[in-house]
Amino acid sequence: MPFDAPVRSRRRAQNAVRFLVAILIAIFLDGGSAAAEVVGRSPRVLLLHPYDERLPASSIAGENARNRLIEATSGNVDLFSEFLDLSRFPEEAHIDRMARYMAEKYVDHRPDVVIALGESATRFIVNNREAIAPDAKIVFCGFGRDSASKLNLPADVVGAFSEFDIAKTLELAHALQPDAKHLFIIGGSAAFDRTWLDSARTDLAVASKDYATTYLEGLAIDEFVERAARFPPDSIVLFLTILADSTGRNFLPKDALAIVAAKASAPIYGPYDTYVGQGVVGGNSVTFESLGNAVAGLALDALAGKPITDIEVPQTFFADARQLKRWGLSESSLPAETALSFREPTLWEQHGDLVVGVIAVVALQGLIITGLLIERRRRFAAEGESRLRLLELVHMNQSATAGALSASIAHELNQPLGAIRSNAEAAEAILRGTAPDLNIIQQILTDIREDDERAGNIILRLRGLLKKRSEIDWQEFDLNEIVDSALNILHAEAAKKQVAVSAEQSGRRLPVRADKVHLQQVILNLATNAIDAMVEAATADRKLVLHTTLHGDTKVEMSISDTGRGIPKDRLNSIFDAFYTTKPTGTGLGLSIARAIVETYGGKIWADNRVGGGAVFRFVLPLAEAT
Amino acid sequence: MELFIHIIDDDASFRTALGRLVETYGFRVSGYQSGEDFLAQLPESEAGCILLDLRMPGLSGPELQDRLAQAVPLLPLVFLTGQGTIAASVQAMKAGADDFLEKPISSKTLRDVIDRALAHNETKRAGRDQLQALQAKLSNLTPREMQVFDLVVRGRRNKQVAYDLNTSERTIKAHRHNIMEKLGVASIAEMVSIAERLGRVQWIRPETRAAFFPKGQ
Repeated sequence: MPFDAPVRSRRRAQNAVRFLVAILIAIFLDGGSAAAEVVGRSPRVLLLHPYDERLPASSIAGENARNRLIEATSGNVDLFSEFLDLSRFPEEAHIDRMARYMAEKYVDHRPDVVIALGESATRFIVNNREAIAPDAKIVFCGFGRDSASKLNLPADVVGAFSEFDIAKTLELAHALQPDAKHLFIIGGSAAFDRTWLDSARTDLAVASKDYATTYLEGLAIDEFVERAARFPPDSIVLFLTILADSTGRNFLPKDALAIVAAKASAPIYGPYDTYVGQGVVGGNSVTFESLGNAVAGLALDALAGKPITDIEVPQTFFADARQLKRWGLSESSLPAETALSFREPTLWEQHGDLVVGVIAVVALQGLIITGLLIERRRRFAAEGESRLRLLELVHMNQSATAGALSASIAHELNQPLGAIRSNAEAAEAILRGTAPDLNIIQQILTDIREDDERAGNIILRLRGLLKKRSEIDWQEFDLNEIVDSALNILHAEAAKKQVAVSAEQSGRRLPVRADKVHLQQVILNLATNAIDAMVEAATADRKLVLHTTLHGDTKVEMSISDTGRGIPKDRLNSIFDAFYTTKPTGTGLGLSIARAIVETYGGKIWADNRVGGGAVFRFVLPLAEAT
Repeated sequence: MELFIHIIDDDASFRTALGRLVETYGFRVSGYQSGEDFLAQLPESEAGCILLDLRMPGLSGPELQDRLAQAVPLLPLVFLTGQGTIAASVQAMKAGADDFLEKPISSKTLRDVIDRALAHNETKRAGRDQLQALQAKLSNLTPREMQVFDLVVRGRRNKQVAYDLNTSERTIKAHRHNIMEKLGVASIAEMVSIAERLGRVQWIRPETRAAFFPKGQ
C-alpha cells in the first residue's frame, strides 16, 4: 500500500508517481477575505484528497478531520470529499478537467471551508479557488513550512504544518538504549533521500557527538543489508528513506526498510509512523490522526468566524511493541505519550474484571495463608518458649522439693551408712575374739554390700529429683513405676512427719506417655502438700494414700488423699493458680506446676474434699495405646 | 544376771547391724520393728536398756515414751537420731530419755552410752529391790499391827493409839515391840523412814512432824 503523505520540507523535485510531490506553478488570486459565520443553513466543508481513496495518509487524516467536524457541530455540517487522483493523472489536462468539473459541481453548493490534504491538493485549490470556492476559507495540512514558502500561498490560506525532527527520533532511541555507543544513519541515493540525509546531518550535528556515528549512503540495497547484519549490538540505527539505491533501483521507503530490518543486528528507528510494522522499533513524527484533528480544528474556528493562523501539528513518539520485545527493550523506558502499536492486549486488558477478581481472591487467599503461617510460626515459637519456661519452672520446683526433702533424705542415708559402720565394727570385734565365727563375718559382708547399694540408690533418687530437662524426654512407662519411685523418695519425709503412707495400686499396667521425672514431680508436689496438711492431725490419724486405677477405657487416674483439714470450698478452683499458698515457706507454685505438667501431657487435674475429712487430689492422663 | 539391750528401729538392716555390734560387748540383744511391737512382748527382766529410733511411723515420740515409762519404768531409754537437732534432743531428754545417740554411731560412743544406761538401770533396780524387801517385811505385819504402824508413824503416842483403837496402852506397847522386831528396826525414826519410802505417808502434816521432832531434841 503506497504511502507518502507527510513530506519533508526542502524537497524540490520528485518523481511524482507515488509521493506527495508535484511541481506546480503557484498562482493565486486574491486572498480575499474570509468566510464568515454561516447563517441559516449547515456549513459546507469540502475535503480535498490529492490521490485516490486508498491512500492511508490522506484517508486517515481526512477521516479524523471528518469525525472531528461532525462531533464538534453535533452533525450539523455538510461534508463533501473529492479525490483528485493526481498521482495517476498528474498532467495539466487532468487538473484543468478536475477544476472545471468541481466548479460546475459546486455551483449551487459553494463550500464555506476547503480542507486541502497535502501539498498537491493545496496547490490545486489555491490555483482554482475562484472557480470552485470563491468565498471559502482554505486550510491545509500535510507538509512543512519550507514547502509552504515555496508555494507562495496567499496570506489567508492557513495551514497546520507538520515538521519532522529526526533528533526527536534519536531521543526516543536514546531513551530505549541509553547505553548505545554506535549510531548508524541510513539514507538512499534519490534526491529526496539525499535531502533527508542533509537535513539529518544538520539536525543531528550535536546529538551524534555522543556516538560513533556512521552515515550509510550511496550503497546498493544488498550492501545495506550486508552492513545491517554487522551492526554492533549497542547500536542505534536511523532509517530515513530509500527511494532509490545506488544502482538506481526504486523502492517504497517502507519496503526498503523491511528488507534491511529483516537482517539488521540492531534496532532500527525511523521518522515515519508508517514504518511501524515494517521492522522499525519506533520514532517520532506527526501522525495522520493528529494531522486530521489539527486541520479540522482550523476549519471549525474558521466556521465560527474566529481569526485563524498557522499552527504546528504536534509530533508524537510512536513505537512497535513487537520490535521492543524482539530487541528486549523496555516499554517503560519509552517517553510519555508514546503511541504503542501492536501491543498484545494483556490479560489484564482483555479480562480486567475477571483478573481483578481472581487476583483479589488469590491475594486474599495468599494473605490468609501467610497470616496463618505466620500465626502458626508464632504459635510454635510461643509454644516452644512456654515449654522451655515450663521446663525451667519444673526444674526450679524439683530443686525446691529436693531442698525440702533433703533433711529426710539425709536421715534416710544415715540408715544404710549407720548399718555399714555398725556391721564393720562388729566384724572387727568378732575377728579380734578367739575362734571367730566366719559365717557371721560372711553374713556381715553381704549386709554391708546391700546397705551400700541402698545408699547408692538413695543418692541416685536424689539426683533423679534434681535432673534437669532441656526438652521433654518422652517415654512410655507404667504409672505405678513412678508411684513406687515417688514413695521411695517420700518415705523418709513421711516417717519424720509420722505419716503412714500406703499405696493402692492397680494390679494392671497403666502405660502413659510422658517424661518420668515430670510425673514424679507432680506426685511429689501433691504428696508433700498432703503430708504438710496433716501436721495438726493426731499422729495415729496421719494417713497418705496413693491410689492408681484405670479411668474408663482410655485414661488412667491417680489420686492422692490425706487426712488433713481439707480445702475450703471456695478455694477448690483457685488452689491451682500460681502463688496460691497456705504455707509460710511455700512458693505457691507447686500446684500450678503440677497442673501445667499434667496438661502438657494431655491430662486434667482437680481437687476435692473427702467425705471423711481431708483432701483428695486427682489427675487423669491418657492411656498410652500399647498395653 | 543377763542384761538385755532392746533395739527398736523400723530399719531391719540397721537393727541387725547394731545388734551384732552390741552382742560383741557381751549383751543379749532383742530387736523390735516398732514401739507397738515392743509393748506387745514386754521383757520379763528389766535389766538392760532400750535403744529407740526417734523417727518411726506409728507410735513414737512422747506418746511411746509415756507408755514405756509405765510398762518398763526401770529400763533406761536411749534415743537414736538421724541428725541430732537440738530441739529433738531437748524434747527427748525432757520426756525422760537417759541419753541419745546420733547415727551413724561409733562403737566407742555406743559402748559408753550403753554402760552409762546400764549403770543407771542397776541403780534403779537396786532401789526397787530394796523397796521390795521392805514391802515384804511390812507384809508380815498382822492387820492390827498394820493399824498400829500407820498411827505410830504419824506421830501418835502410845496412849493416843490405845485410845484410838479402844484398847490399853500396854497392848499397844506389845504391838510396837513386835512391829519393830518384824521390820528389823531399832527406832521410831527408822519406822517412819520405811513408811515414807513405801509411800504410806505421802502427807506428813506439820503437827505430826513437830511431834517427832519436838523442840530441844
